[in-house]
Amino acid sequence: MSDLRTEEYYLNMGPHHPSTHGVCRMVLKMDGEKVKEIEPHIGYLHRSIEKICENRTYAQCIPILDRFEYVTAMSCNYVFALAAERLASIEVPERAEHIRVIMLELNRIASHLLFYGVTAMDIGALTPFLYGLRERESILDLFEMTCGQRLTYNYIRVGGVSRDLPNGFIPKCHEALNTIEKKLADYEGLLNENPIWLVRTVGIGVLPAKVALDYGVSGPCLRASGVQYDLRRNDPYSIYDRFEFDIPVRHNGDCYDRYLLRLDEIRQSIHIVRQALDALPEGDFKAKVSPNFKPPAGEVYARIENSRGELGVHVISDGTKKPLRVKTRGASYNHIAVLPAFATDVLLADLVAIFATMDVIMPEVDR
Amino acid sequence: MDKDQLSAYLTDKSEGKLTLLEVGRHDPIFKVEASQLIEVCTWLRDDEQLKFDFLCNLSGVDTGEQFEVVYQLASTSKSLRVDIKVILPYDGAEIESVQKVWAAANWHEREMWELYGINVKNHGKLEFLLLPEDWDEGFPMRKDWDAPDFIRMPEF
Amino acid sequence: MGLIKKLPVYTEKMPGGGIVMTSLEAALHNAQAKSLWYLLFGTACCAIELMCTGASRYDFDRLGMIFRATPRQADLIIAAGTITKKMAPRLRLLYDQMAEPRYVIAMGGCTIKGGPFYYDSYSVEKGIDHIIPVDVYIPGCPPRPESLLEGCITLQEKIKKQSLLDWQEKD
Ligand code: SF4
Repeated sequence: MSDLRTEEYYLNMGPHHPSTHGVCRMVLKMDGEKVKEIEPHIGYLHRSIEKICENRTYAQCIPILDRFEYVTAMSCNYVFALAAERLASIEVPERAEHIRVIMLELNRIASHLLFYGVTAMDIGALTPFLYGLRERESILDLFEMTCGQRLTYNYIRVGGVSRDLPNGFIPKCHEALNTIEKKLADYEGLLNENPIWLVRTVGIGVLPAKVALDYGVSGPCLRASGVQYDLRRNDPYSIYDRFEFDIPVRHNGDCYDRYLLRLDEIRQSIHIVRQALDALPEGDFKAKVSPNFKPPAGEVYARIENSRGELGVHVISDGTKKPLRVKTRGASYNHIAVLPAFATDVLLADLVAIFATMDVIMPEVDR
Repeated sequence: MDKDQLSAYLTDKSEGKLTLLEVGRHDPIFKVEASQLIEVCTWLRDDEQLKFDFLCNLSGVDTGEQFEVVYQLASTSKSLRVDIKVILPYDGAEIESVQKVWAAANWHEREMWELYGINVKNHGKLEFLLLPEDWDEGFPMRKDWDAPDFIRMPEF
Repeated sequence: MGLIKKLPVYTEKMPGGGIVMTSLEAALHNAQAKSLWYLLFGTACCAIELMCTGASRYDFDRLGMIFRATPRQADLIIAAGTITKKMAPRLRLLYDQMAEPRYVIAMGGCTIKGGPFYYDSYSVEKGIDHIIPVDVYIPGCPPRPESLLEGCITLQEKIKKQSLLDWQEKD
């Protein structure tokens, strides 16, 4: 048997592949079932969002940025509004800040629920997909009653939010949170100790903390590798410093930890939303900002923690009503770029699991 | 360290290699000469007080008169943030790759090269990243770029 | 018996049952319309709505629509999401790999005319109908799951109205 000859070959995965969450192509150098080298090819969804934003007023940029990261579109709205507010030194009313936090955290929960369903589907379990998306709908209902849209909200505007919370939002929100909290036990029951799930995820795709930092990996993927770094604590924005919550950290950095960490985060987010609902003050929901406002010349890089990691936007103003440059930074960009550095020497099927638990979403990469 | 202390520390310790710019609205922005970039970046990453181990973002900018390259750095252990900026002339814009300092720069630099035409020295793999493989219409993010099927939004 | 009411049929009662006769065309097209398998082809935001439509609340399966991962088993492409210049040749390739009869639903503003990326974009294909022929357009950004369901029902109506001659190779 010793003179059995093996040959390396190339395998093309994507750009249309059911597990790539969009359109990403990976050229894999394989030795049998083992992946030796990965070369991601991106750009199949490059929509030139940055170029478009250069020819829009600040208010018009927000709906375009909705499409930049549609699974948590609220945070895209927010990060741009934050940048514009920092440029023009706009004070945001208290009520608006609370509403923003509620929306951001609800969106984080929705995104993690989608992650739960889609990851399980990629690894081969269909039922969690139906469960995860069922509860996600209850959050989308809340968004729909607030701003009329299910996915691309254009709700958080420069200086506040576009409209006040509707009647009946608060009880409905509590109800949704209670359901999700109860159902979390179901979710964990389905997967946490499922032997197939354990074999597919435990010890697979270990991302060392040093590599993660070097490649700019952030968010849950970084925290699953043992680095406690969350912008809500380390570079506080909005009113996060007033709420009490934990930053879950795990230490193995494998697929299983990345998955568990997100479930932990759902609990923390529920906790934050409840506090924000209780503390919600009366008052204005928007500062007076003209739609064609011209911030003074200057530049700012605003960054927040969204469900995937650090979401940043670099805005340069030259004093006119349109930005000179908008550069967006999505966490997934780094999450794909890091794959060649750690996801080698794994089975092809494990690569799918790794890709899924990095929670990559393509428009954030391609823009 | 708060923002003012950080600015003072950087101006102080960098021996004139970093100059504070006025444009920063939230975090300090420093200017650095292209020739000293690698040296300064390595120092920023390794200095005990700073430890800028995280490259958040790297943007190329076309201001209409010149190119700028902005590096947004963060320190995960010290919770600091700073921007450094390199100004490049319009003709023959060229910059050294910082991949050796932060591996995250790789794709950002490739992107800057294809969209702005800023050449990156010692990059190792300058190929199209976002644009189609057969793209031949120039550098689309430049301010003066135009193409037959490129439609500008009319002014209202 | 709901189905029988809608078809041109001839029934004859017999002891212990009956004979139903109908035209081959009607039977085939009904069967085809009720088992449209779609290719899971989502590129951008609209794909999330497509997923929601396939999940618990909206439940695509009740229209007989089940997703397939390969074009060779699919009857329908739901083009959900922006098609860029880099992706356009791949979309064409996927379409070519599907077996006849095949149908296309263009979901969302992007696939109709570029949507929000019509102006100022250097890389977005402005509408997919010059790449592949489209049967049903569903406007919206993104369209609600209800609109998608409506679009699929419209396509089913269209299929039922076809004649067998339409099956011949069309260019
Ligand atoms: S139509 Fe709108 S929602 Fe659909 S892919 Fe295009 S931008 Fe996204």
